[in-house]
Amino acid sequence: MNLFDALSISGSALSAERQRSEIIAANMANAETTHTMAGGPYHRREVVFETPATSSFRLALAATRQMPGNVPGSVHISQVVDDPSPPVMRYQPGHPDADSQGYVAYPAINPAAEMVDLMGSVRAYQLNASAVAATKSMIQQSIDILKS
Amino acid sequence: MTQPTPLLSTLETYLKLTNTRAQAISSNMANVDTPGYRTHDINFESELRRATAMAPMETADNTGTVHFAPVVREVPGLLERPDGNNVNLDREGLLLAESQLQYQLGVQLIKGQFHQILSAINGGN
Repeated sequence: MNLFDALSISGSALSAERQRSEIIAANMANAETTHTMAGGPYHRREVVFETPATSSFRLALAATRQMPGNVPGSVHISQVVDDPSPPVMRYQPGHPDADSQGYVAYPAINPAAEMVDLMGSVRAYQLNASAVAATKSMIQQSIDILKS
Repeated sequence: MTQPTPLLSTLETYLKLTNTRAQAISSNMANVDTPGYRTHDINFESELRRATAMAPMETADNTGTVHFAPVVREVPGLLERPDGNNVNLDREGLLLAESQLQYQLGVQLIKGQFHQILSAINGGN
């Protein structure tokens, strides 16, 4: 338990939030994608955040074991899940992906909802970046003890 | 480690506790969007009292390092979101600023102690 652990916790959050922003950006970029490698329209994706130790007992145990790369209290993305909501059908008979009745399946993506999610992600990133700055200044002050 | 003055070992404990608190705040901030995460923190005053009470008997037998592990607990009475997460950003931001200032204070006091020792070595010059 030292200041560098605090840095790596904040770093794990920065990385998780950046990945979340990437997924949101992919959702917004593919809001009109009707054709994918797997067939059918693009499916909206969501990230699931997870923290390694949940109980204080496991926290204390992990602290004594000193597991590298798995600091208790950090955050990581446990999985990226597909949104199960059905696609939006639009009547476009001339479209190459239209079905026999002339309907094209579009991904059910609401740009406003994605934008709000992105803003939340950016705010969380800013928060953790300021935590990194605070920890950095604390480390710098510890080094300053050595100076006269 | 036994310190040259008793105040220095108290200040060392103070910095260690501030450090633990900063880490708890960092992990609360990191898990601001993790479903089911509960806010963790230490009770600074009671932990400092406990640590300073056990420090003299540890230094008496010259065993070296003081083995003191602060107790990290869940914080009660915070508003919980529907996803089971109860991290309050305002609280964490405020405590981060507070622990930064606490750390700065501890470092300044330690520097003052070392300056005093240095002044004694130099014969007050």
